[in-house]
Amino acid sequence: MHNSKAHIWFIAPAIILMIIILIFPLFLAGGISFTDYNLGNKTFEWVGLENYDKMFNRKTYVKMIWATATYVIVVVPISVVLGLCAAMLLNSLRFGADIYKTIFFLPVMATLLAMAIAWEFTLHPTLGIVNSFLANGCGGVREFILGFHWLPWVDSQESWYTAACANNMDFPYWLKQKNTAIWTVCFIGIWQAFGFNMVLYLAGLTSIPRELYQAAEMDGAKSTWEQFKLVTWPMLGPTTLFVVTITTIRTFQVFDTIEILTKGGPSKTTYVMMYAIFEKAIQQNLTSIGAAITVVFIGFILVLTFFQRYVIEKRVHY
Amino acid sequence: MEAKQYIGEGWKHAILIIGAIVVMLPFYMMVSMSLKSQQEIQSISGGLIGAQETQTFPVCVKTGYSEETCTMKPYQYNYWFAFEKAPIPRYLMNGVIVTLSIFIIQVLVALPCAYALAKLRFYGREFVFSMVLFCLLIPVHGIALPLYVMLAQAGLVDTYSALILPWTISVFGIFLMRQFFMTVPDELIDAARMDGMGEYAIVWKVMLPTAIPALLAFAIFSVVAHWNDYFWPRMVITGNRDLFTPPLGIREFRGGIDSDEFGPMMASIVTVTVPLIVAFIIAQKRFIEGITLTGMK
Repeated sequence: MHNSKAHIWFIAPAIILMIIILIFPLFLAGGISFTDYNLGNKTFEWVGLENYDKMFNRKTYVKMIWATATYVIVVVPISVVLGLCAAMLLNSLRFGADIYKTIFFLPVMATLLAMAIAWEFTLHPTLGIVNSFLANGCGGVREFILGFHWLPWVDSQESWYTAACANNMDFPYWLKQKNTAIWTVCFIGIWQAFGFNMVLYLAGLTSIPRELYQAAEMDGAKSTWEQFKLVTWPMLGPTTLFVVTITTIRTFQVFDTIEILTKGGPSKTTYVMMYAIFEKAIQQNLTSIGAAITVVFIGFILVLTFFQRYVIEKRVHY
Repeated sequence: MEAKQYIGEGWKHAILIIGAIVVMLPFYMMVSMSLKSQQEIQSISGGLIGAQETQTFPVCVKTGYSEETCTMKPYQYNYWFAFEKAPIPRYLMNGVIVTLSIFIIQVLVALPCAYALAKLRFYGREFVFSMVLFCLLIPVHGIALPLYVMLAQAGLVDTYSALILPWTISVFGIFLMRQFFMTVPDELIDAARMDGMGEYAIVWKVMLPTAIPALLAFAIFSVVAHWNDYFWPRMVITGNRDLFTPPLGIREFRGGIDSDEFGPMMASIVTVTVPLIVAFIIAQKRFIEGITLTGMK
C-alpha cells in the first residue's frame, strides 16, 4: 500500500481549502490595507500606510482601541477569577454541585444574541426587573447593601443609590448612558464567559492528586488559603494559561452584544474592533480601512497565541 | 466541628444561589415576557406567568384578523402571533440546513486528511501537519472581511454557499481527529488491508466507526458554534429573509422594539432559543464535553 497514491486524494481537499479559506485571506487583507480599494470599485491605488495612519490618529479609531482594550482587560480577569471561584466552590460542595454547574453553563450554550435582547429588557429603565427591584428597595436593606452604606467611607446620604431614590427613582439607563454602557456590556460578557472557564477549571481540579493536599498539610499548610497557594494554584498553572488565552481570543471577538445593544455608542464608548470592521467595511463600504483594522486585529491574536506557546514551553511546567 | 462544616456548606450554597439567580435573570425575563400580556409587561406585574386572562388583542385586530380569532389567553396569543408574523419554521430549517451541511463537509474533508496525517507515510507529511498547526492560530471571524470580499467578487453574497463555504475546513477537526487516530493500533489497519480493503474503504468503514465518540463531541462543538453564530450570517446575508438563520431571525423580531408588542417578540425568541437549550439539558455531559473540546488543544 505504501506506494499507493491515496494520500494525495486524502490531503488535497484539506490543503486546497486551507489555502483558499484561511491563508490567502490573510494576504488579501494585508494587500487591501495598503490600497484605497472599496468593494465594487474597478480600480484602486496604492496608498502606503495611509489607512494605518488614520487608524492610529483619528479619534474614532483611538476610541475603538480604547473600547476593545477596556472590554478585554475587564472581562478576561473577572471571568477567569469567577470561573475559578465557582469551580472551587462546586468542588467542595457535598450536594447540589451538578445543578449549579448546569445553571452556570447555560449562558455558554444559549444563543448569545437572544440573551443579549433578554438582558436589554432585564436592564430596561421602565420595563426591566433590575431597575424596578432597585426602585422598590429605596429606604430598605437593598439601599444599604447595594449603595455600599456598609463601607465606612461611604456617606449614606451621598451614595449613588440614595441619590437615585431621592431624584425620582433616577436609576441608570444601563445601556444608553455614556458612563455605564461599556461596563454593562462587559457584565454581559462576563456573565456569558465564566461558566466555560468554570468547566475547564473543574476538569483541572479533578486532575490534582489528593496526596498533594495531605503532603501540604504535613508541611504545615493547614488553612484553605495556604493550601490553595501551595497546591491548587500552581497545579492549575497550565489550565489557567489555557483559560486566559482562549478567553482573551474570544473576548477580542465580541460582536453580537455590541451590534444588537449599543451599535458602538453612546459616543463610541463601546466601539470594539469586530464591530468597527463590520460597520466600516460592510455598512459604509470602506473596505480598505476595514482591512487595516483586520490586520491589526489578527496581529493581536497571533502575538497572544505565540506568547502563550512561548510561556508554555518556558514556564508552566511544575 | 460537624456543626461548623454545615454552616460552611450553608454559606457556600447562599453564595451560589445568589450567583444562580443573577445568571438566570435574563432567562426568567425572556420566558416571563413571552407568557404575559402587554399591560402586565409594561407595569412589571403578574410574576412569572401573569394572570392569563382571556382578552381581545388590539394589535391582532388591527392586523386584520377577526375579533373572535384575536380573543384568547396571553400565552396562546404571544406564541400564535409570533408564528403568524414571521416564518419561524423556515428560520429553524435554515439553521438545520446550514449547521448540518457545515458539519458533514467538515467531516468529509477532515477525516481522510487526519487519517493520512496519522497513519500514512508520505513525502511532505510534516509540512502539511505544520500547516494545520499554523492555521489553528487563525480565527475565522478575524478574516471575515477578506472572505467577504472574495465571496462578493464571486457573486455569492446572499446564498447558502456564503453561509457554509468559509466553514468547510475545520483545521481544529483535522487536528482533533489526527490525535484520535494516533491512538488507533496499526494492526487494525493492517488487518483491514490484508482483507483486501482499499484506503478509501479503510477511512470510512474502519476509521470512522472507531472515531464515533470523538466525532460526536466534535459534532456538538461544531453545531452549537454555527447555530449560535450571528457575526458571519450578518455579514453575508443582507436582506433575503428566505436565508435567515435563527440569530438573524431574532434580530428581525427585535426590529419593532419601540412600537410593537413585546410578548410575541419574546415568544419568537424563546422558540428559536429553546431547541438547543433543551438538547443541552438532556445530554448535558456530552455537551459540556463537546464545547470544552478546545480545551484539548
